[in-house]
Amino acid sequence: MIRFAWRQFRFQVIVVSVLLVAVAVVLLVTGPQIAHDFAELKGCKANNDCNFLSNAIQNGHNKILNFATALSLVLPALLGIFWGAPLIAREIESGTYRLAWSQGVTRSKWIITKLSVVGLASMIAAGLMSWMLTWWASPIDTLNANRFSTQVYDTHYVVPIAYAAFAFAVGVTAGVLWRRTLPAMATTLVVYTAVRVTLTEKLRPYLLTPLKLATKLSRSGGYGFEQTPSGRLTFIDSPGNEPNSLVLNGDMVGKHGAALTSQWLDTHCPKMITRGAPVSGHHSVGIKGIGGPVPKAFSECVTKIAANFHQVLTLQPASRFWPFQWIEGGIFLAVAIALCVFSYWWLRKRFA
Amino acid sequence: MTYAISASGLGKRYGRKWALSNCSLDIPEGRVVGLVGPNGAGKTTLLHLAVGLLSPTVGSISVLGEGPASSAEQLGRIGFVAQDTPVYSGLSIDAHLQMGAALNSTWDAQVAKQRINDLGLDPGQRAGRLSGGQRAQLALTLAIAKRPALLLLDEPVASLDPLARREFLAILMEVVVEHNVSVILSSHLVADLERVCDYLVVLAASRVQVNGAVDDLLSTHHRITGTPKDLKNLPDTVQVIESSSTDRQTTATVRSVDPIMDPAWSIESVTMEDLVLAYMGQAEEQRRDLVRSKGGAK
Repeated sequence: MIRFAWRQFRFQVIVVSVLLVAVAVVLLVTGPQIAHDFAELKGCKANNDCNFLSNAIQNGHNKILNFATALSLVLPALLGIFWGAPLIAREIESGTYRLAWSQGVTRSKWIITKLSVVGLASMIAAGLMSWMLTWWASPIDTLNANRFSTQVYDTHYVVPIAYAAFAFAVGVTAGVLWRRTLPAMATTLVVYTAVRVTLTEKLRPYLLTPLKLATKLSRSGGYGFEQTPSGRLTFIDSPGNEPNSLVLNGDMVGKHGAALTSQWLDTHCPKMITRGAPVSGHHSVGIKGIGGPVPKAFSECVTKIAANFHQVLTLQPASRFWPFQWIEGGIFLAVAIALCVFSYWWLRKRFA
Repeated sequence: MTYAISASGLGKRYGRKWALSNCSLDIPEGRVVGLVGPNGAGKTTLLHLAVGLLSPTVGSISVLGEGPASSAEQLGRIGFVAQDTPVYSGLSIDAHLQMGAALNSTWDAQVAKQRINDLGLDPGQRAGRLSGGQRAQLALTLAIAKRPALLLLDEPVASLDPLARREFLAILMEVVVEHNVSVILSSHLVADLERVCDYLVVLAASRVQVNGAVDDLLSTHHRITGTPKDLKNLPDTVQVIESSSTDRQTTATVRSVDPIMDPAWSIESVTMEDLVLAYMGQAEEQRRDLVRSKGGAK
C-alpha cells in the first residue's frame, strides 16, 4: 500500500523536489560567501571594514533572502492546497475510490497509509526548506537580531514543519467534506491563511504571560509629540527594539509610577506649544539623533522626559524563542492530527 | 449453505428518501445473476452495500457469508467493477496492474498480463487515453486478476456501443466458465442480461419485485388472454402481476405454479423481457396508486 501511495503521488513529489533542489543550489552557491564575510566580521578591527562587512551580510543578498523567506512562508499552504486537498477529494470526485476500495486492502489501511505518506512528505518538504533557509541566513539573523519577527520566526526552525502538517490536514479535511478538488483547494487557502494570520497576530504574543522590562528612554526606537485638536500635547513613544525579543508595547512610567500626562508636558515643555502650528509629524527623533534638524525645544523636552520617566516594555524575551517554537509547533501539530482523525472518522461514516 | 449475497430487511436511506427498502434476498453461489431495474431503482445502492461502500440504514447483508469489507481477505474474494468503470486516468495500464498486485494477496499476474495482451492493449498506455470499451476491459481485468469468488458489476456495459457491449459480455462469460466465479451484473436493459443470466433479480421503486432462477421464473409466469370478466374468476393460486384491458379483451401477466386449466384463457409463455416489464409496470402502478391515495387524503 505504501508503494502504491507513492506511485500515485509521484508527480507532485517530483515537482516539489525540483523546486527544493533549485533553492538548495542557489543557497549552496551563495551561503559560503555569507559565512565567510561573517567570519571576517568577527575578527575585524577597523570600523569602516566592520560596517562594510555587516552591511554586505545584512543587505547584500536581499533578493535571495526575500525569495527564500517568502517560499518558506507559503510552502506549507501550497502543500496543503496541492497535496492535501486533492488527496481524497480527487478519488471521490473521479469515482476512483470505488476502484481503490474494492482492492484487497481494508479502507482503514488505505486511508491511514495515504494520510501518513503524504502528510509526512509534506512535513519533510517544509522541514527541508526551513532547514536550508535557517542555515543559509544564520549570519544575517545574528546581525539583525530579530528572531521573533514574522519573517524569521515563521519561516525558520521547527514551526514550518508543524504549519505544513496543519495545512495538509486542512486540505484533507476540506477535501473530505467538499468531495470536490477545486472548492477544497480554495477552502484550504482561505482557512489556512486565516488561522495562521489570526494565531500569529492575536495568539502568539500571549502564548506565555509577557514579561515587563524597564529600559531607559534613550534605548527606545523613536518618539515624538502630537498635538490633539483640542491643543493638548501628547508624547508618542514607539516601543524600542530589544534584540531577538517580541516587544508588544511600551509605557512611559515616572517616579512613583506616575504616568506621562499632557499636564506634565504643559508644565515642563511650555515652548513645545506653538500657536496655530502643530508640532506633530516631523518632530520625531531616533536614538542616534537622525531624522533631520531637531528643534531645540524638542531636544530639551525629551531630555526632561528622560530624566523623569523610563520606558517599561511588555515583551516576550529572546530566551523564549525555543519554548515558543515548540509550543506553537505543538499546537499546530495537535490540530493537524485531530483533523486527520476527524477526516478518517467522517470517511468511514460516509463510505463505510 | 453460504450465499453469494444474503440480505434481510436491508434498507438504505438518503435524507428522507429510501434508495432501497425492505430488501430480503438469498442469492445462491455459482450463478450469473442479472440485477435489472430502471434507473434510480436502487441497483447501485444494493451493489455498494454489498461491497461495503455504503453501510445499511436498517437490516443486514452478508456477502459470501461475511460482512462486506470486513477484512482484507473478504475484500480480496470480491471483484467489483463500479459504474462507469473508474480507473486512474493519469496512471498507465501497467501501473494499474502493479496496483492490483500490491493491494491483493491473491493477485494472479499471469492472468492480468495475458488478458491485457489478448485485448491488444499497450501496457504503457495511460488509462485516460483508453476508449470506453477498453477502460471497461481494464476494470474487468483488475477485478478478475484478483481471482475473486464473486464478481459484482454495476452497469458495466451501459456506456458501451453495441459491438463493445457484446464483446464485453462474451469475455465475461468466458471468465465465468474458466474461473468458476459467481457473477452479479446490473443493467437497466433486459437485452444485455437475457443471453448471459441464469438468475434474475428485478428491482423497481427501491424494492425487490421478484427474484429467482430464470428457468423457474419463466415456467411459473404466463401471459394470458381472455375477456375482462374472466379476470375475477381466476383461482387464488394465480397471482396477477399486470393486466391491461379493452372492452372485449384482457391481457395479463400472471404468476402461477400450477398450470392454468381454465379454457376461457389462451395461454402463452413469457420472455424475460415480458416478465421484467410486467414487474416494473406493477411497481409503477403501485407507485401511482400511492400518490393518488395521498392526493385523495388531502
